[in-house]
Amino acid sequence: MTTSSATALPSTPGIPTEGALAGVKVLDLMWVVAGPTATRAMADFGATVIRVESANRIETARGIGPFHNNEQGPDHSGLFGNMNINKLGLSLNLATSEAREVVFDLIKWCDVLSESFSPRAMRAWGMDYDSLREIKPDLIMLSTCLFGQAGPLSRVAGFGTMGSAIGGYIALAGNPGEAPIGPYSAYTDYLSPRFSLPTILAALDHRDRTGEGLYIDQAQAESSLHFMSTALLDYTINGRVPQLVGNADPDMAPHGCYRAAGDDDWVAIAVRNDADWANLCSAMGMGELTCDDRFADFGARKSNEDELNQLVSGWTAERGALELEYMLQAFGVPAHAVSNSAASAADPQMRHRGHFVRMEHPVHGDTAFEAAKGQMSETPPSYRSAAPSIGRDNDLVLRDILGYDDERIAQLAIADALT
Amino acid sequence: MLLTPYRVLDLTDQRGMLAGQILADLGADVICVEPPEGSSARSVGPFAGDDPSPDRSLYWWAYARNKRGITCNLDHSDGQALIRQLAATADFVLESDPPGVMDARGLGYDALSAEDDNLIYASISAFGQTGPKATYAATDLILMAAGGPLILSGGAGDAPVRVSVPQAWFHASGEAASAAMIALYARRSIGRGQHVDISAQQSVAAASMSANLAASIGAAETARVAGGMAVGPFTGKLIWEAADGFISLTFLFGSGIGPFSRRLFEWMYDEGECTQEDRDLDWIGLGAEFISGQRPLSEWDRLLGVVGDFIIKRSRDELFTEAQARSLLIVPVTTVDEVADSEQFEARNFWREHEMPAWPDPVRFPGPFVQLSANQLEYRRRAPNLGEHNAEVYAELGLDAEDLAQLQERGVI
Repeated sequence: MTTSSATALPSTPGIPTEGALAGVKVLDLMWVVAGPTATRAMADFGATVIRVESANRIETARGIGPFHNNEQGPDHSGLFGNMNINKLGLSLNLATSEAREVVFDLIKWCDVLSESFSPRAMRAWGMDYDSLREIKPDLIMLSTCLFGQAGPLSRVAGFGTMGSAIGGYIALAGNPGEAPIGPYSAYTDYLSPRFSLPTILAALDHRDRTGEGLYIDQAQAESSLHFMSTALLDYTINGRVPQLVGNADPDMAPHGCYRAAGDDDWVAIAVRNDADWANLCSAMGMGELTCDDRFADFGARKSNEDELNQLVSGWTAERGALELEYMLQAFGVPAHAVSNSAASAADPQMRHRGHFVRMEHPVHGDTAFEAAKGQMSETPPSYRSAAPSIGRDNDLVLRDILGYDDERIAQLAIADALT
Repeated sequence: MLLTPYRVLDLTDQRGMLAGQILADLGADVICVEPPEGSSARSVGPFAGDDPSPDRSLYWWAYARNKRGITCNLDHSDGQALIRQLAATADFVLESDPPGVMDARGLGYDALSAEDDNLIYASISAFGQTGPKATYAATDLILMAAGGPLILSGGAGDAPVRVSVPQAWFHASGEAASAAMIALYARRSIGRGQHVDISAQQSVAAASMSANLAASIGAAETARVAGGMAVGPFTGKLIWEAADGFISLTFLFGSGIGPFSRRLFEWMYDEGECTQEDRDLDWIGLGAEFISGQRPLSEWDRLLGVVGDFIIKRSRDELFTEAQARSLLIVPVTTVDEVADSEQFEARNFWREHEMPAWPDPVRFPGPFVQLSANQLEYRRRAPNLGEHNAEVYAELGLDAEDLAQLQERGVI
């Protein structure tokens, strides 16, 4: 097994005292990917994040792979594990008023409340921002869902896969004349934390300067449109609607994924200009092609793109993807093997960056997760605990953080509030 | 606005402009610096009216919003001196040149932080500042290949396929904005700024939704499925053909999605298009029945067929309307024109307009990325013309019109 560190870090759930965000307290009622990505980044940098779940409605991410050793089960999901390291796990049955009382206590405790229920749910529980600011005036609250808290579609329940569809992304990926394919899975879930996280951090900074709280209403479908602004402008100004073009590029040719030797091995090549083309021809040992009128400049290469792609594929198909990557990069041509998870784990650059980290895991012995993406010179992230099993940290939260005594905790258990 | 007290010196081009954009939308005073001949981002298409002149790049229009624009030649020693002075007035410096370029100009983190240790300096690069691939040539496609998401998208056995609007540098830029804000929060407790080193390769890894972990946890590689995803041994089909186009329907079992599937089959039963037996399957526990072998896997394929037959007879509108009435996980696969014309975004007053000097009509941009209870995001400035704010920004450094004319003559600004 490929890993970047030989020994797994210990997993010790607790309240962090160091890190860029040490002392920041987050009550995280979000789930799956979009929300937990943002709170994981906060946890990595020292925030105390309490992640609320219920065994009565198993978090969807726990059912999504990859699964440790291909075994399904709520504590086997690599996705859940990756999204939730460093967080404390509290199980609450929010259908009970007793559990909701615990939430109210935690709202008084926290700096940031984040939730991704459908807009109705929080209002029904009296946990809308206007009610909560009565009990905590400087609360920072994030509500994030597909379409936001208002508007004709605000009641549409949805996962990020649907955001990808209705947000225009699925229609942007696919081959000409075929059904659209779209980017992998829940694409808008990867985009929305790019906007929610800086906003939460700006709100914390603003609160510390002014004492004012803030309500943040994120419609993930709206945030995500900022990754396709030019396509929207191209339509509203030029009337152009993007078509399915495979990997063709308006300014580069050849440009695509070419089959390499192997089972499902591919190399991505992008020729930006005539110099790249000349270098590619040299690498292929076909220097004479630079004098070939069919490919002489970008316009010619674009006009003869099918022929061009066949020619490049013919050359790549006999060579390994990594060999092609190294050779083409040595010639200055943008190229990279199309990495699967094994290639990512073995990638010398990913290893240099420490991208994959190992940690002890109570069920699996050890587990792996992705490091924080940003490398910071003064306040590095810390990796303290594996993702919680359901209710793993109930005692720590209820006793140490909320100061509940045995009797109160027993009452909660009797009321079925902690499942 | 939230970040009003802060200044950002934005030295990025199309590889990093979204980072400063996010901070600018949140209220920071962002000064973007272009070389005297104009940012390379101005040559990124598409262009208004398909006219590739530097003031018509839709990329520039979209990602220089809310920024002030100045020109400065970073390869000229006098230009470098001006940037050092401006950096001393800034809280953040953002840059996206290949590793080593800023250091060679005397504008790297070490040089600038030596003069102002409060500075937060974010470097956005393809593979990170150091390492065996730090000098690799890279484009959007190359980064999507290197980071893990590309292999996951496409038909089984077919070439992987990317999103045709380049995404990789946006992921890196978003990561940079977040990390820069973490550094801002840290600055109060540690009393100094720091260097943030962002790799686009690592940033796009987020778009593989942890499938890139498979080999590291003993799992099989995730199968590439056109219009769907593999969920363990099952194919979760996400894209379905309707009578007049495509829809996304999330159809699976389990406690999260199962109840939605149950409601879908209730509708199908009402319409006489499924059996009572199928409707009454245990939609929560069905997965376990398949895995235990109690029910053959071929049953799942049959159910996919039953649903597919139902969907293809109905229009996207009918499916979406009924989905809202019955709370089903169905939305249309929406094309860019339909996104732009959507009632939902209109009803939320999402879009914002700017007058652009190079275009006769007002131009409509995607609006605030979040709505706030106070200190709302504002679209207060359109993307600047080349050197539009030279006079007002350089005046802060004590330079008057005559000084600027001289600098311009010498090719500094």
